[in-house]
Amino acid sequence: MSPDQAVIVAAVALPFLAAALTPLFFRVLGEWTGFAGTLVALVSFGLLATQYGAEGTVTLPWIPSLEIALRFYVDGWALLFALLASGIGALIFTYSPAYMHGQSGLVRYYAALLAFMGSIIGVALAADLIAIFLFWELTSLCSFVLIGYYTADGSSQYAARMAMLVTVGGGLFLLVGLLLLSLVAGDVVGPASAFNLAAMLEHPDAMQSALRDRGLFVPVLGLLAVGAATKSAQVPLHFWLPNAMAAPTPVSAFLHSATMVKVGVYFVGRVRPMLLGSEWLLLFVTLGLTTMTVCALMAVASTDIKELLAYSTASHLGLMIAGFGFTSVYGAETGVFHLLNHALFKAPLFLVAGIIAHEAGTREIAKLGGLRRNLPVTAAITTIVSLSMAGIPPFNGFYSKELLYEAAVEASHHHDIGLLGWLYPAVAVFGSVFTVLYSLRFLSLFFGDRPDELGSVQSPPLSMLVPPAVLALLAAVVSVSPQLAVSVIVQSGLEATAIDPHEMHVGLPTSYSTPVGMSAVTIGAGVLAFPFYERLHDGIRSIPRTVPQSCPNWWYDAAVDGLTDEGRWLAGRVHNGLLRTYATWTLGATCVLAIGGFVAADAIEPTELGVEATVSIALVLLVAVVGALAVVLSDSHVAGVLTLSILGFMIAIFYILASAPDLALTQLVVETLVLVIFLLVIEEIPASYAIGLRRSVRDVALSLVVGATAFVTVLVTTSARPGGSTDIARYFVEHAVPDGGGSNVVNVTLVDFRGFDTLGELVVIALAAISILTLIVMRDSGDGGLIETRAGEELLEDEPTPEESADEPHATDELTADEPADETRVADEHAGDDSFGSPPERGPTEETDGESSRGDSA
Amino acid sequence: MTTVIMRTTARAIVPIVLVVAISLFVEGHNLPGGGFIGGVLTTTAFAIIYMAYGLDFLERGILGRDVDPGKEPSRDRVVVAYRRLFAYGFAIAVLSGLAPLLFGQPFLSQTFVVLEGIPLYDHLEVASALAFDFGVYCVVVGGLLTILSVVGAE
Repeated sequence: MSPDQAVIVAAVALPFLAAALTPLFFRVLGEWTGFAGTLVALVSFGLLATQYGAEGTVTLPWIPSLEIALRFYVDGWALLFALLASGIGALIFTYSPAYMHGQSGLVRYYAALLAFMGSIIGVALAADLIAIFLFWELTSLCSFVLIGYYTADGSSQYAARMAMLVTVGGGLFLLVGLLLLSLVAGDVVGPASAFNLAAMLEHPDAMQSALRDRGLFVPVLGLLAVGAATKSAQVPLHFWLPNAMAAPTPVSAFLHSATMVKVGVYFVGRVRPMLLGSEWLLLFVTLGLTTMTVCALMAVASTDIKELLAYSTASHLGLMIAGFGFTSVYGAETGVFHLLNHALFKAPLFLVAGIIAHEAGTREIAKLGGLRRNLPVTAAITTIVSLSMAGIPPFNGFYSKELLYEAAVEASHHHDIGLLGWLYPAVAVFGSVFTVLYSLRFLSLFFGDRPDELGSVQSPPLSMLVPPAVLALLAAVVSVSPQLAVSVIVQSGLEATAIDPHEMHVGLPTSYSTPVGMSAVTIGAGVLAFPFYERLHDGIRSIPRTVPQSCPNWWYDAAVDGLTDEGRWLAGRVHNGLLRTYATWTLGATCVLAIGGFVAADAIEPTELGVEATVSIALVLLVAVVGALAVVLSDSHVAGVLTLSILGFMIAIFYILASAPDLALTQLVVETLVLVIFLLVIEEIPASYAIGLRRSVRDVALSLVVGATAFVTVLVTTSARPGGSTDIARYFVEHAVPDGGGSNVVNVTLVDFRGFDTLGELVVIALAAISILTLIVMRDSGDGGLIETRAGEELLEDEPTPEESADEPHATDELTADEPADETRVADEHAGDDSFGSPPERGPTEETDGESSRGDSA
Repeated sequence: MTTVIMRTTARAIVPIVLVVAISLFVEGHNLPGGGFIGGVLTTTAFAIIYMAYGLDFLERGILGRDVDPGKEPSRDRVVVAYRRLFAYGFAIAVLSGLAPLLFGQPFLSQTFVVLEGIPLYDHLEVASALAFDFGVYCVVVGGLLTILSVVGAE
């Protein structure tokens, strides 16, 4: 059965459309907007459900000539993840109105939540590498908005920025990996399918062989692993997830347990058939089991119920990553089944945490206990899902953990991994013991002793009870009848992620085997160790106090603080408010980039400089040079401006002599306007001022560099036309009259042949006007700029240098109160001058006219 | 700079400059000129007026409106008119680009017709590019005058 294009596109687009319409929903429904979200999620779920059993690619052509298209791929694995996102999304939207009651910013909250759900469905279904990356980063962006929901709270901002930096940064690694993958795919599946992941997965063996042949297998594997690790909170990049608990609890339940953090796991499962091998095993099993164990320890050390659940989530994500890492079919079974099971027990646990916080007023574990009398239904829900999290039979979490043990034991049969053959199973058991511990601790919130300081606990509203109850019920169904879940969805997910899938069977063990023994050891050790929980808790917590560097968070803070300090120092150097500083940096950087570009492109070639200037041109240029020198040597602004205009007019005459009348006319009118503006502004600046020797030397050096760069640029660009004119220039000359109806080739080019380019130039002029208008208005509204300018000025002048001492009297003069104001006026003048002195339209005019002139000469 | 000599000179040359600017704009398709050059020259004429008579002359002397001396320059009505001028100019350029779509031609396509039998001229060529160039002219005049009047008020 092939997927229906309209249905798939609707399933992905509907949440985004609803997100755009959220302000309208909110105006009509108010706080009941959440239920509109429920409806959208259910519709998406229904649309996806109609595609059950379908398999294939849906293509939306975008730029047919380049064969660029948006592709979606539907199979069991994609449907499992997409249905999970929309299904749990429906429950989260149902839960939110009661939990978020009375909060501000709900439009932003619901819009981001809807856009997020659409992004996850997009990630699940996307078959185009670029689309995968875009949806991937879109989930990070929505996560940023939702984590930072409490915008006035410092810890919220900190957590949002951290999550953004880590997950988006990881996304860049993913992008590089995907691009390398597309390079190889172009050879294997054809250039047209270079970005088509579905096409690659149809030839997994060929893809892997090609990757190895080109030496890109390990780099691609590593890059994709980093991307997945950041998204799915794997050690050592897991630290953003506990911090993300600053978000409202429905966000934590939806994004940070059921869906967003599983994007990495999902992608690992998706590319598994293509990259499976011993490198894959070593990388992902080590990564996953390390995360599973470390985060389980951190969960035991947690003091906040959401923190405990966050570390638990990271731990279970490690379990899934490790599962997919094992190369046997048991590994794929572990990953797929636990993706489902974890969503069914962890999302309701977060919702339970929200109920506790909402009704008991605190999230501190030490202050909670004995809640079952006040929250009997919640206690029942928690019992089911906590024991499932612990992996205690017959609950659903037990089955997928059992599969992990099976895969771990099986690993040494498939690969010669020596010591790791028993280390992997041992670590898996060790990590699971701590999982049992913290799961029992969470359960004790309801069944333990009630602290005296705990006040009254209200009953939660029905809309907060139904979502976790539904999930717990589903978990119970899978617990009683795991084979049902396998038949319905897990089997087809398995077939997409395993290379040799067979009929999957799960159920309560009826005979002894090694994994059964491992489970018995896990549960037994967990139960025996539980009375010592507080000692373990305190012991683990003391480690970061003794060795701060053991926390990745410490390294993150050190890196961010370091970059902030560097940024502040750099800003002081580059953005000190003085126009001449900006000009120096801008011109210097431009020259470096230009020369660097020419060198990199190997464009600079030795060229014979034939001097064939006529007498008249030579005379004009001589006058221009004399004028330029006179500008530098003039001791008053009026003289300088007038002399500068001589230079401009000489250039115009040069253009006339070079047979470029249109360009000459442009130069003349612009030069006239600039002269008028100079005369208009000139009264506002000091009659004269002295410049220190050091600054003069710097300016001379910069001028020489700029001049040399301009010279080389002209040399390089003109030598690129050995024939004297290009085909396009000849085309313009030949077609100006018959096609454009005008004999002025320059004007016809601007308005007929290159109208689009000219339209762009209009935008530049308009933006220049708006920018200057805005600058003037902004400056009038505050004095901060002046203060900053003065501070910058004094900072520069106070630098003690031997050269400066000779100009000490002048420095004193420059420190007068008028200096900042003058500087600002000069800035205004130059801002205006930049717009007039460099008309955007001159570029194409100059280039085209030069070409047409040579054409005329030919 | 508002001297008698300056005012007398301005009175004489501004009309000439404006006529030349319009002429350059109209003939730009066949002879040197065009929307940009015409626009810059028109702006020069306004700049000369500002220099000779001051910034408030246009409103007080020609348009006959009172100007509040303490008002922000960006809020003066004549500045608002300049801003609208480049906005309208841009709209004209875009619309002249969209018009070909009605005739099944690509965006920004141009055409021309030659009218015969016109008295005095005998034949007159009319190019659709004139509309686009007029948009260019308006953006240049509006943009540059906005910058000039706002910065000049400082």
